[in-house]
Amino acid sequence: MERRRQLISDTLKAKKRRLQPGPDPGDAGEPDRPEGSGAVESALRYLASLFPRQLFEDALPPLVLKHQLYSLVRDRTAVDRQLSRLKDEGLIRLFQLGFDSDVFGVAFTQDYTTKVLQSVAGKEHAGTVRQFLETALATCPELSYDNGRMQRDFGFRDPDITQLVNAGVLTVRDAGSWWLAVPGAGRFVKCFIKGRKAVLGMIQKAKYKEILLSDLQSRRAPSAVKLGLPYHIHDLIGAQLVDCIPSTSGTLLRLADS
Amino acid sequence: MLAFISARQAGLDDPLRLRRAESTRRVLSLELNKDRDVERIHGTGVNTLDIEPVEGRYMLSGGSDGVIVLYDLENFSRKPCYTCKAICSVGRSHPDVHKFSVETVQWYPRDTGMFTSSSFDKTLKIWDTNTLQPADVFNFEGTVYSHHMSPVATKHCLIAVGTKSPEVQLCDLKSGSCSQILQGHRQEVLAVTWSPRYEYVLATASADSRVKLWDVRRASGCLITLDQYNGEKSKASSEAANTAHNGRVNGLCFTSDGLHLLTIGTDDRMRLWNSSSGENTLVNYGKVCNESRKGLKFTISTGCDPEFAFVPYGSTIAVYTIYSGELITMLRGHYSTVDCCVFQPNFQELYSGSKDCNILAWVPALREPMPDEDAEKQHLNPAFEDGWSSSDDEG
Repeated sequence: MERRRQLISDTLKAKKRRLQPGPDPGDAGEPDRPEGSGAVESALRYLASLFPRQLFEDALPPLVLKHQLYSLVRDRTAVDRQLSRLKDEGLIRLFQLGFDSDVFGVAFTQDYTTKVLQSVAGKEHAGTVRQFLETALATCPELSYDNGRMQRDFGFRDPDITQLVNAGVLTVRDAGSWWLAVPGAGRFVKCFIKGRKAVLGMIQKAKYKEILLSDLQSRRAPSAVKLGLPYHIHDLIGAQLVDCIPSTSGTLLRLADS
Repeated sequence: MLAFISARQAGLDDPLRLRRAESTRRVLSLELNKDRDVERIHGTGVNTLDIEPVEGRYMLSGGSDGVIVLYDLENFSRKPCYTCKAICSVGRSHPDVHKFSVETVQWYPRDTGMFTSSSFDKTLKIWDTNTLQPADVFNFEGTVYSHHMSPVATKHCLIAVGTKSPEVQLCDLKSGSCSQILQGHRQEVLAVTWSPRYEYVLATASADSRVKLWDVRRASGCLITLDQYNGEKSKASSEAANTAHNGRVNGLCFTSDGLHLLTIGTDDRMRLWNSSSGENTLVNYGKVCNESRKGLKFTISTGCDPEFAFVPYGSTIAVYTIYSGELITMLRGHYSTVDCCVFQPNFQELYSGSKDCNILAWVPALREPMPDEDAEKQHLNPAFEDGWSSSDDEG
């Protein structure tokens, strides 16, 4: 009898023990890691708060990369689903920032519109941009717009579209279609790529190409890291450029092989 | 366990439930076991494995030097320690051995009297198991990456063959000729699989990043081309339209009920598709490292509660839950790239073949011995015992 009872608990224990140590998404310094429906939104707000607005003279909306969320919320499928729900609700916008086709930038719609309006204020194409934000942006949560749609549904003609491209709200995708873009995002992308390289270099130079997360956080960041170490650490973990290994003295980051 | 048994006795539970819970537990505890071994015959990497579906007892393996070996997996010695013996093999000295690497082996789904093998020497051979002579040989113009016979077909005996040419060939065993060609892919076809649900439905994956579903009765092209963006044109550049991955697609596997299809590509992604509508279910498995230039053979569990996918991941095997995309564990043991793995559903065992010439058996861990069994433990072979003891163990 006693043995059987131990078997039951054993069955359950065995399941739980194996299910818990999965891919640890890395405790990158934030105190709570909520799961559930609000998790993605709060993670998004946390990451947006890491974005250094002052660096770009407050001209850019806080930009978050989609994969950074994976470092905070461990269920990737749930992140994708909630993100697309938030997108359909119009709370956030997704952008192609010119990386791989599965890397997306995320910004809150409200931040985005205020910054765009701020950037075009007083210029001659301000009217067109405002019209674009009010019609196309408000009704269509897509990442890109094509010719037919712009002309037929929203009533923009070719010169208007040229103005929008000049204002940096649209970038050319291919003939007759445009990506939605963040004006001035090029500076962010430049800083981001340099910073990522620098942080990867820090890990590369460490012994065995591995470093404790707390150790990395306490280091003085090289000057190339303008966006702040936490921002880049979330990026590296989310993009799976480093593996997170739980150890007795905290999370260990190891450069992923290949 | 007791609760499960009593609930089953009282008729509260479906009998399947106990079975599912136990097989899930066993799959979650898969590990290498010192008592289980597979005899090492191959002198080069093992490309492909297949366990016959009738009894689950015999396993075929194909090596990259053309050798095919047949193993007996069942242990009748009444001892816990067992090395899976090679019953017979088509070695280098055999007159009909494949000249180059064997890419796929498959048992005839109905009985063990026949198996098929395809190779880079541009042939597909049908073997008689008992005499180990080829009963028929199909020749192709390009190297053969993959072939498959439908596990459920009752009205046809077609073997789908993916070769270096972009056309998928269908070979009919009844007439012994290539009866049909499926056109639509633009580059070499790396993987082909028949649906386990509908006998005429075939899935093919190609280096042109597309995955197509075919009904072989239909003459005018494929049923569906899977689209990773589900028709949302706005997400990628236009040349990526109607692609399943952003790289070569080199692995395919249907779930056991045939309702979903898993694909894996060299863009380090794995995707789960609804096989009837062709919709991407958007399950995100994270990075699934995949550098294979040819087909990759991965497998899924059957009869567990969340079903699991076993995917070669460099020199390890990653275990994912299929529908939630969670990485459960990595099975480490091989010294070099793992090329194939196959699941034995009766005993929940996993066999994997690698470039390091080994076939490893992953066996469910035994339950921890109960305290009152300590007495028995003393009779173990002293060689297995740990002579060294630390003060921690005693305290």
